[in-house]
Amino acid sequence: MAQILQYLANGLVFSSIIILGSIGLSLVYSIADFANFAHGDTMTLGAYGAFVAFGVFGGLGGTVLGLPIGFFLALAVGMALAAIVAVLTHILVYKPLDTDSIGLLITSIGVAFVYRAVLQASFGTDFLQYDIRRSGPIPLLLDTLDVAVTQRDVAIIVSAAVLVAGLHLLLQRTTLGRKMRATADNPDLARVSGIRTDRVILVMWVVGSALAAAGGVFLALYSQLDPRIGFNILLVVFAAVILGGIGSVYGAMLGGLLIGMLHELTPLLSDVGLPISNAYAPAVAFVIMVAVLLVRPRGIAGDMT
Amino acid sequence: MSTLDVGAYSPREKGVVGLLGALGALLLIAVVTGFLAPAYLLYLVGLSAMYMLLSMGLNVQWGYGGMINFSVAAFFGLGAYGTALLTASGSPISGGVSPVIALFGGLALAAVLAVIIGYPTLKLRDDYLAIASLGLAEVVRIFILNESQWTAGSAGLTGIPLFFSDWPVLGDLTYPYVFYAGGTPVFNMSQSVVTSFLNVVLVTVIVAAVYLFLRRIHQSPWGRVLRTIRTDEDLAETLGKNTFAFKMQAFVIGSLIMALAGVFYSHLVLFVSPQDLQPITTFYVWVAVILGGTGSDRGAMLGGFTIVAIQQGTRFMTDTGALPIGAAPLRLMLVGLLIIFIVRLRPEGILPPERELIWPDSLGGGRDE
Repeated sequence: MAQILQYLANGLVFSSIIILGSIGLSLVYSIADFANFAHGDTMTLGAYGAFVAFGVFGGLGGTVLGLPIGFFLALAVGMALAAIVAVLTHILVYKPLDTDSIGLLITSIGVAFVYRAVLQASFGTDFLQYDIRRSGPIPLLLDTLDVAVTQRDVAIIVSAAVLVAGLHLLLQRTTLGRKMRATADNPDLARVSGIRTDRVILVMWVVGSALAAAGGVFLALYSQLDPRIGFNILLVVFAAVILGGIGSVYGAMLGGLLIGMLHELTPLLSDVGLPISNAYAPAVAFVIMVAVLLVRPRGIAGDMT
Repeated sequence: MSTLDVGAYSPREKGVVGLLGALGALLLIAVVTGFLAPAYLLYLVGLSAMYMLLSMGLNVQWGYGGMINFSVAAFFGLGAYGTALLTASGSPISGGVSPVIALFGGLALAAVLAVIIGYPTLKLRDDYLAIASLGLAEVVRIFILNESQWTAGSAGLTGIPLFFSDWPVLGDLTYPYVFYAGGTPVFNMSQSVVTSFLNVVLVTVIVAAVYLFLRRIHQSPWGRVLRTIRTDEDLAETLGKNTFAFKMQAFVIGSLIMALAGVFYSHLVLFVSPQDLQPITTFYVWVAVILGGTGSDRGAMLGGFTIVAIQQGTRFMTDTGALPIGAAPLRLMLVGLLIIFIVRLRPEGILPPERELIWPDSLGGGRDE
């Protein structure tokens, strides 16, 4: 039982990362109407941006949940960097294209390679770590529930929750959010209603990429940083978006939660006698993705935006 | 272009031929002056031909049928692993099988995988097919990486024999091989040159056969239906065509050609590892196809050549130390920029299909192209 709780705790951390990635991917899918293969590398970009910024503000201030205040500043810098690069990419690369969604999809692969090439050329392919001391599991949880959760895990979950709640308020409570939902739902109708969809698309890139960058930073914090982390996790993020229903932000959140959990629950399969090793965790997610595409292509939350 | 000038070669085609000819001459000069080892040049020719095969395979799926297959690396890898597992001395399964028989092992594996991947995914919308096929290709790679009791895992397979190793005459050559003319020795060749040369002969035969086969089926009624499906699948369906069956056939044919490239690769490099199944392989082939011209087999061949030029050119450029950037990122950067610029500036590619779509007979004058 404690084992299952442990898996669920790990799952919650991983889900937080996947959710942050899947929101942006889903926004691009619904508003710009293409599968953005550069999204994973946007996550990596944010993680490196935060890495450099953390080198500058390093040990600034006190600590929150075991992380220095400087880390949260660095996180903001990483998010801003990813947003700026994504907007520039949109203006310079995607916008001038006269092509269909397949052409955009193929172009986004090229964009992903360029991002990764720049990172690889500047930082090399070695594993990097944020220079923050790792602490042991929180004693209280270890004693009462026998579950090992570090302060860092809690920080990731709480930060993701704050960002997701912020997005929810933006979408539901502001005029901008209503415009975004209208554009995602029906771009032509939104345009004839007087919404400047061009600007909405820019906002969509900013929001989606900033959240992706946050996901990338937490992913690097959770494990380690190298130029491939984003691309390696991209398919898992796609699985989450598809499971939740393409184009639905809340679906993406739900899909991210489920896929993240399933990813970390894979060891359970061998506990119950199925000889599927941990290495197949992403494979399990991909197979679920294909199954969802076949059985219910609109996902589990297809119509909610 | 108001009237389609189908008889003569267009200036662009002449330009491409001229450029390739010039590059070939340059490489020959490099060999004669001793700047480039002959065996290495022959190896590069073999590698280019392998990418040509991969590109032609993808061209059947994407160029003819409009299927976005992002699992090229998986089919290539299965072909390579299929033959390697059967022939290699380091194989955990059997080893020692004749490469000619093992060839069919690799092809069979790829055909089975093509049906397994194709059956669920070919019904999907285009962009879903892209994501799903990339995911399934990763499943194949993860499987090969982790099931080391069958595949030797991340260590890869060594001890793969040459394709000709057990052939009557070619397998028994002694080295250095001395070439006699009228009883007097004319020149002798080292083992690496002879084997590389034989590989080039082999792959040239395969490429030529595949090219002729593809040209034939592309112009056949089957190819016309496939092109209709690419343009408008609903229309093809309305005309009573079983579009799923046509797509499946094209998917399997394309996958078999990719597996053939994998088999050749195994016997060229004599080593395979899960690294060869990385998604980057898939995207190299995609660049080759869209650069050459979607739907054009000549374009696919040009694209295959370009990929090797990029791979080796970046290595050469960084070896000279003139650039402040490593070979791997430079290659990624070039491939990325190429994709972006092709879609932006020349989405139809350098050699789009023109004459290939017309029967030679209908050109008039009985001219046999």
